[in-house]
Amino acid sequence: MSFSWLFGIIIGAAILFLAIYAVTTMIGNEEELQGAKTSKEIGILLSPLETGFESSKSSSFTMPVETRIYNSCNDFGTFGRQLISVSQKNLGKWTETDLEVGFSNKYIFSSREVEGKKFFIFSKPFLFPYKVSDLIYMTSSEKNYCFISAPEEIGEELENLNQENLFNDQDNFPEECIKICFSGDCDIKVDLVREKVEKEDQTFYFSGEALMYAAIFGDKPTYECTLKRLMLRTQELANLYDKKARLVQSNNCNSNLELISFSNKLDLIENSEDLNTVIPDMEDLQNKNEAAICKLW
Amino acid sequence: MVKKGQVKIQQMAFMLIALTIFFVLVGLVVLVFTFSGVTDAATELNERNAMLLVSKLSNSPEFACGDSFGNNKLACVDFDKVMALNINIDQYENFWGVSNIEIRKLSSSGRNTLCTQGNYPNCDIIRLRDKDLAGFDSSNFVSLCHKEKFEDTFYDKCELAKLMISYEVANAN
Repeated sequence: MSFSWLFGIIIGAAILFLAIYAVTTMIGNEEELQGAKTSKEIGILLSPLETGFESSKSSSFTMPVETRIYNSCNDFGTFGRQLISVSQKNLGKWTETDLEVGFSNKYIFSSREVEGKKFFIFSKPFLFPYKVSDLIYMTSSEKNYCFISAPEEIGEELENLNQENLFNDQDNFPEECIKICFSGDCDIKVDLVREKVEKEDQTFYFSGEALMYAAIFGDKPTYECTLKRLMLRTQELANLYDKKARLVQSNNCNSNLELISFSNKLDLIENSEDLNTVIPDMEDLQNKNEAAICKLW
Repeated sequence: MVKKGQVKIQQMAFMLIALTIFFVLVGLVVLVFTFSGVTDAATELNERNAMLLVSKLSNSPEFACGDSFGNNKLACVDFDKVMALNINIDQYENFWGVSNIEIRKLSSSGRNTLCTQGNYPNCDIIRLRDKDLAGFDSSNFVSLCHKEKFEDTFYDKCELAKLMISYEVANAN
């Protein structure tokens, strides 16, 4: 074989290899970009779930292909961030994803990985004692949740939500179902008196119905981290209401709420178990605000 | 004298250089095309975010009236709270993912006075970031309420206002 042939073959192979490498990398990047775009779109689609008068709001979205939505959280900075990334099935393989899209103003509770084509989301306002945010609960249509012996109020709310994968009527329970009990023993145990949820040998403490649903639908690390983020926003809102109180005070309309001390106590909350340390202060603030002439919230 | 084989190698080398340059150029065109698609998508997402956010922002706890002015009101912005937010706005950097938020009274004197701690509540525009609205904006009508004192009693004063959110066009640079 002459040198020119050998030279041509080697260089040709190198060019071909580079071209294949470039195309593969570009396809990978495009898949990641698509995943990031979808994550951002999901986050944006959650904006209309902000409640006004409503006690809860439900919606759903369907993806064109089988999708895994990864939900995680970090509590860095003033508010922390909810992180969403998406992996989609392409030619029978899940696309790899490293790109996480962060949202500071969203609080999403779900398992770490939610898989399916159709996803249900419902939201509920979290009050502590003022409205802190709307909590968003995300589930896949592939998982059913059966509420057993739920109190009337919760049962009614579930019926009003009309979400296809939430069941309250025992006669209509599907065969495969994650059972949630308010008394007795099953997959997820809810103790409304002690305000705790037990599942997978882990205990989640809550305060109020919004956090109860968060404990039911969320996984432990995301629940604890998102709760910490909620406390950060509660703290920031306490400072905001304190500044509002000073503005209103200049009009001689006193509210006399100890918001700074409440904010300092919130700073000490490390996990859901510490929630009960601020409940008395929270209730005291609520009562004082109710009685004030110039209500702060 | 140059041999025939050497000429062929030279020709091939030039051909390969030309081919490499061609592939690099094609690659660059593809990259430019891809990135223009990404920036367009980012702008579109920003636009959609602003559009959906503006209709719901007045219900967000940093703006909403809550029960401060009687029963829970929809599309009601608490003027006192927004002024407090204005003082604290550095904490809310990138919180809503928009570049600026402005509330403009529609019943204003036409003087367009920016609200400060000194002239509040006799002012017309609350601008949460200390810069003009840039890029594109979405807006929604809201009622802007605060407490006023008349003799010894307090009453709720609500005025019609426009809540505007601006977002910047995503830049490939």
